[in-house]
Amino acid sequence: MRLALAASVASGLTLGVLGVYLAIRRIVFFGLVLASAATFGAAVAEAMGWPRALVSLAVGLGAAASFGDVDASTRVSNESLMGWAYAATSSATVLVLAGAAGGSADTLQLLFGNVLSVQRAQVILLVVLAAAVSALQLLFAQRFLLVTFDAQAAKVAGVNTRLWSLGLNLTIGAATAAAVYEIGALSTFALLALPSMAALLVTSSLRSTFVVAGALGAVVPALALAAAFYLDLPAGPACVALLAIAVAISTVWNRASSRRSGA
Amino acid sequence: MGTTTIMTTTGATEWVLRGQHLTVGYGRRAVFHDLTFTVAQGQILGIVGPNGSGKSTLLKTMLGLLAPLAGRVERRPGTTISYVPQRERIDVIVPVTALEVVEMGLAARAGAMHRAGSADRTAALAALGLLGIEPLGRQLFRNLSTGQQQRVLLARALAGAPDVLVLDEPTVGMDLASEAAMLEFLHDINRSRGVTIVLVTHLLPIVLNLATTVMVMASGTVLQGPADDVLQEDTLTSLYGVAVRLGTVAGRRTLVVDRGAPRHV
Repeated sequence: MRLALAASVASGLTLGVLGVYLAIRRIVFFGLVLASAATFGAAVAEAMGWPRALVSLAVGLGAAASFGDVDASTRVSNESLMGWAYAATSSATVLVLAGAAGGSADTLQLLFGNVLSVQRAQVILLVVLAAAVSALQLLFAQRFLLVTFDAQAAKVAGVNTRLWSLGLNLTIGAATAAAVYEIGALSTFALLALPSMAALLVTSSLRSTFVVAGALGAVVPALALAAAFYLDLPAGPACVALLAIAVAISTVWNRASSRRSGA
Repeated sequence: MGTTTIMTTTGATEWVLRGQHLTVGYGRRAVFHDLTFTVAQGQILGIVGPNGSGKSTLLKTMLGLLAPLAGRVERRPGTTISYVPQRERIDVIVPVTALEVVEMGLAARAGAMHRAGSADRTAALAALGLLGIEPLGRQLFRNLSTGQQQRVLLARALAGAPDVLVLDEPTVGMDLASEAAMLEFLHDINRSRGVTIVLVTHLLPIVLNLATTVMVMASGTVLQGPADDVLQEDTLTSLYGVAVRLGTVAGRRTLVVDRGAPRHV
């Protein structure tokens, strides 16, 4: 239980913080693509008997490098490309596992994870990753913000926006791939998308947005674990449901706050 | 499409930005061929043309945001350029204050591990003060009016003390008073600080009263040279296909389309 708690908190904190970048770049579905691609990598590794974490990480990083900064053409939007990538990787995952022994059990494991069976080595990996992401945030927050807020102006001023954007995307890709196998694709995507959404609704500064998103990402999976333990619920879906409730509460709070300030 | 007429050369020696034999466009579609230009230090270059004439494409090429299909663009070594994009391009979902936006202009010029300190804050406040909007520093950028947001973006650009200031449609969405104040400010910083200005707009009256040099783009043609030489009635009439009349009101140059005249002169 302690290991599961540490894994959940570490993953949730990392994904919650990084999800803010996806939200403010309006590419939340990039998180879904990354989670789906990393799941596909894990499925291929499972079927082939390769090291799961490594293949999942490689595919996750590949997707992060390929789709994070893609320029939409006049005929196909970024959302469409991401929709294609999600459809392709998620169907490929099911097809790959369909041919493997114990396919449906593996599919469920990859989609929803099984954080209660997490191993010490995996927890250490997640905690190290969380520490690395926090360090990167502390060191390079200004650069990440520059390429997120107005990449063109930053490029004109001499910032290598392609490099920094790639670095940010790879960080998100690595965090996603590391989390997918422990907490599942659904929870991983939810932790990327929902804490940042809730945070943007209730905060009025970028710093507090990151803090609230990180806090929600860390606390909600812990509450979900408690719910799973005491109410005998599946931890992953419980986590997603609690995050969805947090977004709903934030929306109500935001509207009430807007009405108060408008009155 | 693709022809370029150089009416007058600028004769500039102290260049800060120049393009040589440029073919500009996207993919295989060229908007202009063989365009050569020079932006001289201290000048105000107005790039003007109707919507869809290729102004933004040329601007992106000038700034290095879009690779030319042929030819090359050069910055004089050591020249710093700040870009003020169209305000609509800035996504207001990001909860940043006006002060934080201006601090980004400083961060872009600093090292990768730079963290904003008190010196940055002072410089950012000074840049806001230059535009008379220091009290707005703590307000969220998204809560400001159109004109205020545009001035914050201009303050961000100026905070980095650039040699060249490039503005894309800086007066779009502004009321008359804000537009006049913005143009006067640009004129002032050009004269007092020697900042070179490149301004893209679809509004001819703006370049009529501000630019020292112009590029007029229309129907695949570029006319460039000193503003007084290029911005003539017959030239504009020929370029735009409507009878253009120029005049002066209260010391300001104005332009009207003469509807009584033949449409294609």
